[in-house]
Amino acid sequence: MSLLEVTHVEKSYENEDVLRDVSFAMDRGDVEVIVGPSGAGKSTLLRCVNRLTEIDDGAITLDGDPIHSLDVNDLRRRVGMVFQDFNLFAHRTARGNITLGLEEVLELDHATAVDRADAYLDRVGLADQADSYPAELSGGQKQRVGIARALAMEPELMLFDEPTSALDPELVGEVLEVMTDLADEGMTMLSVTHEMGFARSAADTLTVLDDGQIVERGPPENLFEDPDHDRTAAFLGQLTDLGQ
Amino acid sequence: MFGTVLQTGDWGFILANWEWLALGTVVTVLLTASSLAVGLLAGFPAGAIEAYGSGRLRGAVSTAGVLLRATPIVVLMVLVYYGLPIPRLGSIPVLDVRLSAFFAATLALGLRSAAYQSQVFRGAIGSIDDGQMEAARSVGLTRFQAIRHVILPQAIRRSVPGFQNEFTIVLKDTSVAIAIGLAELLTRAEDLYLQPGRDTAMMEAIIVISVIYFVLTFTTNRTLEYLEDAYAIPEGTET
Repeated sequence: MSLLEVTHVEKSYENEDVLRDVSFAMDRGDVEVIVGPSGAGKSTLLRCVNRLTEIDDGAITLDGDPIHSLDVNDLRRRVGMVFQDFNLFAHRTARGNITLGLEEVLELDHATAVDRADAYLDRVGLADQADSYPAELSGGQKQRVGIARALAMEPELMLFDEPTSALDPELVGEVLEVMTDLADEGMTMLSVTHEMGFARSAADTLTVLDDGQIVERGPPENLFEDPDHDRTAAFLGQLTDLGQ
Repeated sequence: MFGTVLQTGDWGFILANWEWLALGTVVTVLLTASSLAVGLLAGFPAGAIEAYGSGRLRGAVSTAGVLLRATPIVVLMVLVYYGLPIPRLGSIPVLDVRLSAFFAATLALGLRSAAYQSQVFRGAIGSIDDGQMEAARSVGLTRFQAIRHVILPQAIRRSVPGFQNEFTIVLKDTSVAIAIGLAELLTRAEDLYLQPGRDTAMMEAIIVISVIYFVLTFTTNRTLEYLEDAYAIPEGTET
């Protein structure tokens, strides 16, 4: 059974179709990268998976459970999300950002939550920044805390919404490194990103979304070397040029 | 003219009656505290309802706020004192304060303050980035948990400067209670210079209580500024 199954999903905002008949499935451990021009519906698609946005039609299941039959907070506990703008809780330390969900949602006691938070900070290379507040961290460090915060909930699926787009170029590497490690460890990841290097090296599947529809989907090397569609070739060509 | 008003004998008269004014100061401080407490207790929920609520409750809160902010405080206090069935509760002995007047003044100043504090708080809530709520919900927090643990702690910090203004306004407006004869600082100053043959001490009495009001607002504002700094969210020098 697929871990995530998206079937004929439709979504529109004020009569403007954002997602049109989107269907795909991911198995446990799959790493999928979604690319597409701005306004293609990439972020909306991610947000539909953890119900920050509700779909109009179709179905999404997580490990066989239709997400609309699950308690929304239970769903979100099972699906981690990393944001473009980090969205760290500004009034809490790096550690405090992580312990909040552990204590309030997973109801761990404080000591256990702190231990787990520190373990995940260590995992993203920030053991020494546990007591720092977001405003004291660099963009790359903030995003690594954002990843640790999501990971610490021990989700079944991680969503990444352009995790490196708000970063200065020299800070992108440290975040991609964490993501690559995560992919290697077998985390199921659905990521919207323009980082073609990451797509080529870490993704099992690359999906090109344009105008709310999946244009092409397959192993990255196929799409890069021998795309079926002109739009795929044009779009990936643009990104690759930019990246070099 | 001032030469004849500011006489040394009048200063001596005020000084001799310092206890009388000190008791008035105590009443002013108590009235400020009770009014601000009512303002906080009613204002913060009202602000939260205006920010997050919907339907009739929000409509009612918002209308009450508009009415309270549109009414002069003297009018409001007189309305509450003479218009509401406040029982005669006796008086506080040493301070010579009628409880019914104190209660009415607290209610008028407190509700008016709530109407302003709710706006301070609502604005602070609105200034918190939407991403904070989204991130909190994405971890699995309920809306209520997210408001409580993520939005409010940040919004309350951002409310402090507005609250500081409000504190100063309430403290000074306690003097309006003279309209219902409450023995606060201004009323007591008036008691002094209205005594037979003491009308020349008016300017001295008013100057003395002005200084007292200034010291009260100044020290409290400094204290609040200190607390604001102490509880500020640390910021790095670079990001």
